[in-house]
Amino acid sequence: MLNFITRRLGQSAVLVLVMSALVFVGMYVISDPVAVLAGEDFTEADRQALAAELGVDRPLIVQYFNFLGNVIRGDFGSSFVYNRPVMDLILEKLPATLEVAFLAMFIGLVVGIPLGVYSGLNQKKPATKTISFATTVGYSIPNFWQGVLLIMLFAVWLQILPASGRGDTVEVFGVGWSMFSLNGLSHMILPALNLAIYTICLQARLARSGTQEVMYQDFMTFARAKGISRERIVRRHLVRNILIPIVTITGLQLGGLIAFATVTETVFSWPGIGKLLLDSIHNSDRPVVVAYLILITLMFVTINFIVDVTYALLDPRIRYT
Amino acid sequence: MTEQLIQVDDLTIAYPMADGEVFRAIDKFSMRVNRGQIVGVVGESGAGKSTIGKATLGLLDENAVIDTGGVSLDNVMVTKLEEHAFANIRGNRVGYIYQNPMTALNPVLTIGEQIIEAIEANTDKRGSAARAYAIELLRQAEVPQPEDRLSKYPHQLSGGLCQRIVFAIAISAKPDLIIADEPTTALDVTVQKAVLDTLVKLTRQENIAIILITHDMGVVAEMCDYVYVLRHGKLVEEGPTAQVLKEPTQPYSRELMAAIPRIDHKVDRFAVPGGLGKAEDRKRAIDYLMSRRADAGKEGEPLLSVRNLSKTFSSKATALKASSDFKAVSDVSFDVFPGETMGIVGESGSGKSTVGRMILGLHTPDPGYEITYRGRNIIDLKSKAEKLAHRQSLQCIFQDPYSSLNPRMTAGDNITYALRAHGTLGREEARKLSGDLMELVGLPRASARKMPHAFSGGERQRIGIARALSFRPDFIFCDEPTSALDVTVQAELLNLMKDLQDQLGLTLLFVSHDLAVVRQMCDRVMVMKAGEVVEAGACDKVLVDPDHPYTQGLLAAMPRFRPEVGHLAMNLRQIPSVHKETQCRNPTASDVLSISRRSRQ
Repeated sequence: MLNFITRRLGQSAVLVLVMSALVFVGMYVISDPVAVLAGEDFTEADRQALAAELGVDRPLIVQYFNFLGNVIRGDFGSSFVYNRPVMDLILEKLPATLEVAFLAMFIGLVVGIPLGVYSGLNQKKPATKTISFATTVGYSIPNFWQGVLLIMLFAVWLQILPASGRGDTVEVFGVGWSMFSLNGLSHMILPALNLAIYTICLQARLARSGTQEVMYQDFMTFARAKGISRERIVRRHLVRNILIPIVTITGLQLGGLIAFATVTETVFSWPGIGKLLLDSIHNSDRPVVVAYLILITLMFVTINFIVDVTYALLDPRIRYT
Repeated sequence: MTEQLIQVDDLTIAYPMADGEVFRAIDKFSMRVNRGQIVGVVGESGAGKSTIGKATLGLLDENAVIDTGGVSLDNVMVTKLEEHAFANIRGNRVGYIYQNPMTALNPVLTIGEQIIEAIEANTDKRGSAARAYAIELLRQAEVPQPEDRLSKYPHQLSGGLCQRIVFAIAISAKPDLIIADEPTTALDVTVQKAVLDTLVKLTRQENIAIILITHDMGVVAEMCDYVYVLRHGKLVEEGPTAQVLKEPTQPYSRELMAAIPRIDHKVDRFAVPGGLGKAEDRKRAIDYLMSRRADAGKEGEPLLSVRNLSKTFSSKATALKASSDFKAVSDVSFDVFPGETMGIVGESGSGKSTVGRMILGLHTPDPGYEITYRGRNIIDLKSKAEKLAHRQSLQCIFQDPYSSLNPRMTAGDNITYALRAHGTLGREEARKLSGDLMELVGLPRASARKMPHAFSGGERQRIGIARALSFRPDFIFCDEPTSALDVTVQAELLNLMKDLQDQLGLTLLFVSHDLAVVRQMCDRVMVMKAGEVVEAGACDKVLVDPDHPYTQGLLAAMPRFRPEVGHLAMNLRQIPSVHKETQCRNPTASDVLSISRRSRQ
């Protein structure tokens, strides 16, 4: 296990390094921050001064190693646009995204897995057909359109939920959270639901196919022959065995929900990190984009690591060496 | 004393099929089981044996329909019960023992949890009382160190131990009846003996009746009082075991008895019907096969000579664990002479297949070995053409007929694709050759166009033989070629292999765990244990009057099918177990694969 962790850490370091280089080069190729930031009345000298101030006048390779040197000291640089430390910007926006992503994931698992297990166990019941149809639809409708429909239904017609913004936030650990106030929570519901629909459908389908596979295994028949209750068979014997693919996808999905919730954040004017990323790409704000993507890479690496450790907890046959 | 417990009357269980037809898994079957009686239900695969057990417990597949009759337990018609009413029967009045103990236990739950949940469901013991009772049951089932086993997972225990745990679960509520569905098929012969011994002991103590579902006549002969013979869901014959085994009255029972390989005397051919293909096609195939075997070797010189063959499988060192070596084969030497059949017997893990695989070049032996084939050390083969000729001359027939054929190729392409890939055969020639070879192994040439899934296990194994023959080999390594097959199919296949060997002068290395099959097939035999040869010699000597205690133990543990002696049941306990079950099973290749697959997901 120790060996596994060290190897994983090594791989992660390489991954982050490669990722940062790619983003660095990519941003350099596609845009010129000076062109975006410079006013119309800037002279050539002003432009050069601006470039020198941003540090983009030096060769790319030098810029990159300077950046790496700073990162090792914990400094991700300052935003070209806001002229503030990148980490401050990101940490300001991150909680909004995290709380919605986790709420969405929670809804997805709590609704999706039981639906999937139910439809896997009762393949011929009419409810199963409905579930199967609904998940296919939910899976296929584009995210932004679902968002608009949700706003129409809950905010415009029924007028029971707010359509945009974070609502009241409560300061915890120096950052604002919506989930600690009732008003904030009501603002969270629609964006979380928007993100959760896809997750519900995916988890339901995974749980269903897992159930269909596991329910015909010998040990399921043997468990029935032992005379234990159906409820216990499902809860202990079945669910434990279908969790491995579910954990895998949950990990990937959670990363995706945090990193790429941009569409939902836009539809619901949710001031999360996705919007910050879009704006920064737009403004060629390289320090923000690079720092953001490194952060996301680290997050994916961590989630995958947790997923792998969870495998070993779920299935005693898996041992890492 | 002879109080009736189970009564099956006129039972017909049908499965509707896609084309509107129905498949009758069980057809108008009746049987009786008295309290404390051990009743055998025998038949080959597809006979519907397991269906009877499942019907008794309400475990039939959802689409199964009980057309006529039913199963009564103490005069209650259980086949009419609703699902919830089975709660008092399953585990409580009827225990169930599954064929494969490694799959009957849930891989992700501890042994303790799986026993205790059964105890809590079927008795009034809870919590620590249930735990204490679980330990008591494991002790009764002769599981060593029962306390430690509770926290273990199934994959950490051997198959024999897992089956004992399944026994412990089955007897936990002191049921009236245990349905044992092929309880020892997945186990080694010495383990089988010990496990059956335990089963008999447990059930005798509590006067529990057993319905023993099996294909193994030896097990039936040793255990059962009364036996029912099934074929295609229909009852063929019933009677006291001695009578049915000794003087079967029906043609099918007679054929079944004749197909059983005997350890006590050797026959030239099994007395089972088995057609061969068209004479002219066979002649062509034989001409083809003989066309390259001019230099089959000099008289009296070994075709294959193996010296100091060893194989060590190593696992890599990790931060927490030093590298560990597993010596699968150590220092094996032997000769095989042209036209003879050399047998290797041993239990699983004894290294017998590894020997064959090293000879074929599928594993690289540890340094210091010497393999001489047709008078040449195979290390001296340098040129590509020489190596190819060598490889083609040594062929293999695999154990599992289902996975050894490419499912996406026709039978004919499976036979000839390697030759075509080497460019030695044109399309039209390949088609002719595969047809001839199909006829040679007793399959119609037209079926060469069918896909593998359209064939039964025995037919697939015939295709496997045809594929091996297509290279015109001198030497074939047969790795448990019949262990996945029914006994009558096995007999037909063994007949075929004997015929082919006579006609073609093939040299065979025949690996099997089944001593009786080896006795029937082989001229000489090596007995392997834990990678070492413990005894070698002529079959007539080694398998009749062995010198080594291990061989003696193997022979003693074998359930005997000896109808003419007419002895029954109770000799099972007289011979002490020779096999100490190990605590941990060595992981097999498939385990490792499935785990690494999972860890990569």
